[in-house]
Amino acid sequence: MLRYLILVLLVFGSMTLYADEWRDITEKARGQAVYFNAWGGSDVINDYIRWASDKVEQKYGVVVKHVKITDIGHVVSRLLAEKSANRTTDGSVDLMWINGENFKAMKKNKLLAGPFTQKLPNYRFVDTENKPTTLFDFTTPVDHMEAPWGMAQLVFMVDTARVSWHPTGMKELLKFAKEYPGRVTYPAPPSFYGTTFIKQALLELATNKKPLYRPVAMADFDRVTAPLWKFLDELRPFLWRKGKAFTSGAPEMKQLLNDGEIYISLSFNPNDASNAIANGELPDSIRTYVHKQGTIGNTHFVGIPFNSNSKEGAMVFANFLMSPEAQFQKAKPAIWGDPTVLAVKKLNGKDQKMLNQLPLGIATLSATALGKVLLEPDASWVGALEKAWLRRYQK
Amino acid sequence: MLQLENVQIFNAGKPLFSTLSLKIVAGEIASIMGPSGCGKSTLLSAICGNLANVFTLNGDVCLNDRSILALPMEKRRIGILFQDDLLFPHMNIAENLAFALPPELGKQERNLKIAEALEKGGLSGFEKRDPVTLSGGQRARVSLLRSLLAEPEALLLDEPFSTLDQELKDQIRSFVFETIRSMNIPALLVSHDHRDCPTGQVINLANQGS
Amino acid sequence: MSSLGLFPMVTFACFLSAIVIGLISTWAQAFGYMPSLELTHFSVTAWQQLFSYPGFGRSIMATLISGIGATLTALVFTFLLFAFSYHNRFWRVLDHALAPLLAVPHAAFAIGFLFLTAPSGWILRLLSPELTGFSTPPDWNVVKDVYGISLMLALVLKEVPFLILIALGALGQINVQGSLAVGRSLGYEKVQVWVKIILPQLYPKIRLALFAVLAYSLSVVDIAQILGPTTPPSLAVQVFRWFNDPDFEYRLLGAAGATLILLLVIGSIGLLYLSEVGIKWLFRSWLINGQRRSRFFLLTTLSNFFISALVGISIAVILVLLVWSFTWRWQFPDFLPGDWSFRFWGKGFLQMTDPIWNTISTGIMASLLAVFLVIGCLENEIQMQKRGRKANTTKMLWLIYLPLLIPQIAFLFGVQVSLVVLHLDGFWLSLVWSHLLFVLPYVFLSLGPVYRSYDQRITDVAVTLCRSTWRTFLRVKLPILLRPILFAIAIGFSVSVAQYLPTLFIGAGRFDTITTEAVSLASGSDRRIVSVYALLQMLTPMIVFLSAILIPRFYFHDRKGMQI
Repeated sequence: MLRYLILVLLVFGSMTLYADEWRDITEKARGQAVYFNAWGGSDVINDYIRWASDKVEQKYGVVVKHVKITDIGHVVSRLLAEKSANRTTDGSVDLMWINGENFKAMKKNKLLAGPFTQKLPNYRFVDTENKPTTLFDFTTPVDHMEAPWGMAQLVFMVDTARVSWHPTGMKELLKFAKEYPGRVTYPAPPSFYGTTFIKQALLELATNKKPLYRPVAMADFDRVTAPLWKFLDELRPFLWRKGKAFTSGAPEMKQLLNDGEIYISLSFNPNDASNAIANGELPDSIRTYVHKQGTIGNTHFVGIPFNSNSKEGAMVFANFLMSPEAQFQKAKPAIWGDPTVLAVKKLNGKDQKMLNQLPLGIATLSATALGKVLLEPDASWVGALEKAWLRRYQK
Repeated sequence: MLQLENVQIFNAGKPLFSTLSLKIVAGEIASIMGPSGCGKSTLLSAICGNLANVFTLNGDVCLNDRSILALPMEKRRIGILFQDDLLFPHMNIAENLAFALPPELGKQERNLKIAEALEKGGLSGFEKRDPVTLSGGQRARVSLLRSLLAEPEALLLDEPFSTLDQELKDQIRSFVFETIRSMNIPALLVSHDHRDCPTGQVINLANQGS
Repeated sequence: MSSLGLFPMVTFACFLSAIVIGLISTWAQAFGYMPSLELTHFSVTAWQQLFSYPGFGRSIMATLISGIGATLTALVFTFLLFAFSYHNRFWRVLDHALAPLLAVPHAAFAIGFLFLTAPSGWILRLLSPELTGFSTPPDWNVVKDVYGISLMLALVLKEVPFLILIALGALGQINVQGSLAVGRSLGYEKVQVWVKIILPQLYPKIRLALFAVLAYSLSVVDIAQILGPTTPPSLAVQVFRWFNDPDFEYRLLGAAGATLILLLVIGSIGLLYLSEVGIKWLFRSWLINGQRRSRFFLLTTLSNFFISALVGISIAVILVLLVWSFTWRWQFPDFLPGDWSFRFWGKGFLQMTDPIWNTISTGIMASLLAVFLVIGCLENEIQMQKRGRKANTTKMLWLIYLPLLIPQIAFLFGVQVSLVVLHLDGFWLSLVWSHLLFVLPYVFLSLGPVYRSYDQRITDVAVTLCRSTWRTFLRVKLPILLRPILFAIAIGFSVSVAQYLPTLFIGAGRFDTITTEAVSLASGSDRRIVSVYALLQMLTPMIVFLSAILIPRFYFHDRKGMQI
């Protein structure tokens, strides 16, 4: 009986402490300005961030400024410069939208503040059990150093008005390119989407996938990647611009898809095509599809740089982004359609119903239709693949 | 012989002076005088073919019994000298003079002609000099020699001495008149200083004014 | 030494410190000095990596073709225009179009040019499907081509008006009408007089401006990102990518690349200078060979055609941006959008409040500071002349041109590192200072001649009347020079608006300007919003120019002597 009482007191005590700590954070956060560096290439996302910023300002008095970035790598570069100049306060960035490649570099160079997500009340709703990529970002352990924001899965988009079929794998993509020469392309690495395409191809074509989940130095790189280069070499003459020019990323490819210069594009947001159709960026004949073997999926996060002066404000915003309210708004196809990181089961009844009843965008696949999610290879493969691609195709 | 027949120049319908008829024989230097603005320089422009678009010309201009009004300026074979010597600063004296020579001449002939001309002007040995290093009077002489090397059939002078000082003026004046006369071509000089006028016809354009 | 003497010192300290520090820091990095990575020994690894980087050769080729090619082509066409079309009907059109042509910022022009000439661009939409049979855009390598030709063409179209402007200013010092009259009286056709007499005198006077154009073309980043090749890009774009790479080792590579760009610029300028000497020597006898007729009648047509093309393409560029900005859906190969919308203009203004404010505030501050410093320097020059000491104008001219001759990327690299160490990056004043560097030369070039041609005797008389130099300055000299000063402010403002690299390097991501937004979105997915941004980038300087024209007109509406 006494043990039971002590346990209850301890739990209650820690919860109060926890609640106290959170109250401290929200108090300190009031009035802080948070410079949120996030990719600004999508109107839909920018609008969502503005909505979230308004809400956070209303509720917590934190002023969030969205700094639109083209490439988050630039920000990592700047933080490195600040770190090497010993700038431990007055950082230029307070919160940033990051993913696996950059997370690894930032964690290694101690560019992140934290661990912090354990202090955020909404973290307990995150689906760490069924969504392992919330705990391991490109196989690097997250260790509470970044807060999950949304789920991503590589999907392809095809213009059904121009073609009668779409490929269901890389080998079929080659057939498709031969039938429609000049209408298929992929972004050039080291752009984020380009590397993803290469990784997807490698995952589909590699005979043994185990080395991909271990550091690249431990593998026989040439042997493992041989089928990839064979495929890309065969594909090259049938590519857009005969493989002499490549796009800079998925946004540019979306533009080309709209013009009819290419017939297939790609995206990390399963709802991208529906958003684009609603926004007039793509014709309504566009449909999303995935590959039979599955496509790469991951989680995207927000992290706090080591030298931010508004860490508490950043934490409050990160917490809000993980809240059921914000995640629900984000998942709405009419708003952004980005899948939630939360476990629906962990939420209360009302929120569960909301999330379960979300409609699907006109060009969006259902969760089952999205099929299998392939896990990202070890982050060390990214650099190696990029260098190898450049050596072969940029000379 | 340079002949003007009933020449009248209009600016937007208004004539600058009443019709002018003039005959200048070879070796004669006629003068046109008048206050500023009466149209002296415009008349010269009209004769050599450089009349600005705002003006219209009535009448005829004949050189050696051929009407030249239909010819463009570069084909009229009329030389013109201005107040500024307008020596080309990116060429030396010899090159400035050579510019006036016809294309058919060989290099040796050309150098010979240049040397002769410089000697006539009392500037022997000045071939390689930079125009900027010459005095005003020297430049004026080179300018005249250059015009004459092109073997024009007539020569026009637009206040050619006004930038020179008094003592220089007399020297240059006599040099210019002697040289022109020795070429035996008609010449027309415009000035507002009556001392600039040699013996020959003198027309006061103001008196011709309407 | 009076207080005026401080002005030239402060001004040149501004420039030179930035350039010197920037260059030294960049060179240090290029040779392996990076304390944060524990590299403090001299090493040439970065250079080895640079030369062996995949695609290096083709990068250099694209850089040289677009850089030197654009400059030489622009020069040839400028001279062509003067020799064959001076003061003809086409010239009059050019005269009226010159100021608006110059006011269109490079980035906006490049974006419009892209939307015009791409395989899915307006020209092909015009011609398809009737004339070409295309129902989808052809797979042509027209823009972003491997050799940088489309980049070169766009550069030529922007640089010819600039060279013409400089040439027109320089021609004021050459007696054009007199030369034409003398030359023609000696039997030479107009074109021959231009080519043999006037242009040889003109070239030395526009030489520095030409070198500036060369330096710019070889090192431009924003236009090259929009129109230049992609894999590999031109060297400047590649260096910019290395600089932004999260892997810090690439910074050393970038520093080496930036230094190589500087060497390319110096080498090209040297080559141009040697060619000038060579051509002068070779063609000396041609000048005086007596040939009086020009046999190239086609060149007049070409020259007139070029003027039409220049004006026509520029108008088309603005039009295509306008159409895209009001588009909802525009499918290829429709000639005009199927659905129109005002939505993106509304969105543009909503989203753009920060960038618009940053652009305007930085531009006004930089141009006002520049004009303040320049007037101080010019007044100091006048005072020194009064004391009998002549100002060394050639040396000053080179100093003024220096920020324009050294590629931005070659020293901004180093400047950024220094500012980060000093905790000075990311501040608005640092941003203004970085813009000031490039605004100063243009303000000097535009205000200098007018200021110097001001009749000093007016001031002398006025001072005897009111016995105060300050009051004379404020109430006599400044109002008389109001129009040129406002113009200089407008020019400085438009230079600041167009700045891309300084805002990115020095602003530390805190400051978006219309230009940085426009360029980053140019390779995005939405032509509609980019067009709005590009048009806004064009409009902002135009508004300032309009004020520069209207304010004096209003202020002096009843003073005929002040109307020019």
